[in-house]
Amino acid sequence: MFELFVAMVKEEWRIHSTMFGTLSFALFPVMIFGIACMGSFLIPLVQMTLPPGYLTLSIHGSYLMLGIMVGGFGLLGNEVMNRRFGQASLLAYSARSLPLKETFIFLNFVIKDTVYYFFLWVLPFGFGYIIASPFIGVPLTDSLLLLLTLTFSFLFGLCTVFLLSAVYARSKEVLWLLLIAAGFGIVVHAVLSGTNPVLFFPPLLLNSSFSWMNFTLSSVLLLLLFGVATALFNPESVGSTKRYTDAFTPLLKCLSSLPTPSLAAKDILDLRRSGGLIGQTIFSFFLPLLVIWFFLSLLDPIFPPHGLLFLTAIITGVIASTMYTWVTMFDTFGSYACLPVAVSTLITSKITTFGLLQVIPVIFIASIAVLSGETAYIFPAAILAISVSFYAAGVMVWLSGLSPGVLVYDVKVLFTYLILVGIALTLFTGLAFANPYYAFFALSLAIPAWFFIQRAKVRWDAVDPGGF
Amino acid sequence: MSPVIETTDLVKQYGDVCAVDQITLSVEKGSLFGLLGPNGSGKTTMIKMLTGQTKPTAGTAMVLGFDVVADPINVRRQVGIIPEQETPPSFLTAREYLAFVGAIRKIPDIGAKADRWFDLLDFADKRDILCKDLSRGTRQKLMFAQAFIHEPELALIDEPLINFDPIMQDLVKEYLVDYVRKGKTIFLSTHILEVAEEICSEFAILHKGRLLHTGRVAELSENGGDLPSFFLSLVRKGSHV
Ligand SMILES: Nc1ncnc2c1ncn2[C@@H]1O[C@H](COP(=O)(O)OP(=O)(O)OP(=O)(O)O)[C@@H](O)[C@H]1O
Ligand SMILES: [Mg+2]
Repeated sequence: MFELFVAMVKEEWRIHSTMFGTLSFALFPVMIFGIACMGSFLIPLVQMTLPPGYLTLSIHGSYLMLGIMVGGFGLLGNEVMNRRFGQASLLAYSARSLPLKETFIFLNFVIKDTVYYFFLWVLPFGFGYIIASPFIGVPLTDSLLLLLTLTFSFLFGLCTVFLLSAVYARSKEVLWLLLIAAGFGIVVHAVLSGTNPVLFFPPLLLNSSFSWMNFTLSSVLLLLLFGVATALFNPESVGSTKRYTDAFTPLLKCLSSLPTPSLAAKDILDLRRSGGLIGQTIFSFFLPLLVIWFFLSLLDPIFPPHGLLFLTAIITGVIASTMYTWVTMFDTFGSYACLPVAVSTLITSKITTFGLLQVIPVIFIASIAVLSGETAYIFPAAILAISVSFYAAGVMVWLSGLSPGVLVYDVKVLFTYLILVGIALTLFTGLAFANPYYAFFALSLAIPAWFFIQRAKVRWDAVDPGGF
Repeated sequence: MSPVIETTDLVKQYGDVCAVDQITLSVEKGSLFGLLGPNGSGKTTMIKMLTGQTKPTAGTAMVLGFDVVADPINVRRQVGIIPEQETPPSFLTAREYLAFVGAIRKIPDIGAKADRWFDLLDFADKRDILCKDLSRGTRQKLMFAQAFIHEPELALIDEPLINFDPIMQDLVKEYLVDYVRKGKTIFLSTHILEVAEEICSEFAILHKGRLLHTGRVAELSENGGDLPSFFLSLVRKGSHV
């Protein structure tokens, strides 16, 4: 039964490599490797300014988040199976006509995603560090250990989301209860013991003091998460003959002041009815951001005053910009092929829906400000988050048009994205650190954002839409 | 009177496959034009180019006076299209989808028009179900309604009958014949030759992207031939050269 797995991996490879050429795609892990390798040489420098352990902490945090994001995008239970594949003829879908159990197909799919992202992200990164380690005086065992614990961080993120999404597919109420209980428990524990719960994150413990006992415990915990998730996973497809009253026409009236009310109304119904709005908000937004916030709060002492809030605001902006992928994942251009809709019109409508969704990051950053006792800075923090989000989304639209999800893996595209977004992030982090009210300068990002979106419309109208 | 569709040396190349190879064709107003050809002969590619869904590699095509490359949106605004793979959006109901189409095409009084279509194609009981939960044939009915609801001058329809039961097929054939009687034009692709013979006034035969023949169906029968045997002999001969 290994054939199905191999075929799925090949398929994933082909999807990506036909999109932008085998070479450009194959270079992706090479680039991650390069970044890690070069970054490693900066470590001695960074460690002079950072208290020991902080760097390890943030890298583990990033990989945990990577796992959560990969899980959040890829594994939202059967809903995503349906959504991602629709009527498309991917193996995960067509294999249903073979004499195989659905759970088996799904497991293959999950493992394929894991392996795939492992080779794309985790391994090249760890490998870059390993290669650099002799030159920066780090023992090889340490860098091997880092590779191991980073892998664990990644898998923890992935399995946690897998479990939560399996619960979500069964019962949304139970999921909420679970999340609230877990959040409550963590906060109570943190308050009572005065320690940041992040310090109990198994891969971190393992990294700071390796023992086979700890290793076994971490592995068992992972397997347990994965096992429970698989057991809970419900392969029944959720088709129904439920009847809906017309929600489109009222929504259309309600949105009539927007540039493309009909398309925006459709997007909103897509998000709402697929469960994508709630699911994505939890798995691709709140969860990763809360994790980041927890990890960052450990670094609080080294930030300037209010630095934590504004750094969180900037990261919220970057994560919020990925909401553009939520609104584009439902339809290919094919669904509009029989209507008089240009790609540029679609881009306008997707940006409009994206704009409506920006309420979520505003609420999030406002809550963080209140929770951390910085209510006075709600306004500049929210402005910073939203401006960064629109700017990063603008760059994404310009670079990848209506298919941001896949194009991320084109090295040229990703590289340009990282440079363009990186410059803005560095600049505005610096400004906000210097003076919280300088965050208002971020409003000026509206100009390049607008420019990129206008360029995107011209650029993607000229491309043959048959390609996606 | 100028033709509704006019192409000159239209070419579509996919890598080293020539899907459509130098096709020059014209379709007159009021005809029910059948585009025939075996699997992979380029019918769908032809319709995609004529509706601005994909750009020709070479050649020109004018549809209702608009250039499909320069002005694809105006072409799509004027015509009705049934694509080969029916794809109404998963998370809208049938009724909402027609309202959506109505909003985009700015069709007045869309609710009443949609209801008429639900009755005509006999799926009023399904109109409040999400498109993803509809049967294949019902989705095809919806795509049919979507293509004709604004009563376009020209409809380009790719294999419209393929998922319909015999009763629906009959109904749809009758609708198409009536439609061209009102002076409108239909460009239809199919490999069901009997259907083409029954309803089409003109036809063209594609084979491996090349145009083998164009003519009037009536001409064939006047000469004592029939479309299926004409098609088979032509395509078999075409395969040998
Ligand atoms: N997007 C594409 N990329 C590459 N090749 C394509 C693409 N679309 C079609 N082709 C090729 O172009 C040729 C014509 O395909 P087309 O779909 O137009 O045929 P068709 O006449 O509609 O066939 P059928 O009767 O099976 O629907 C085929 O050889 C096909 O493989
Ligand atoms: Mg076809």
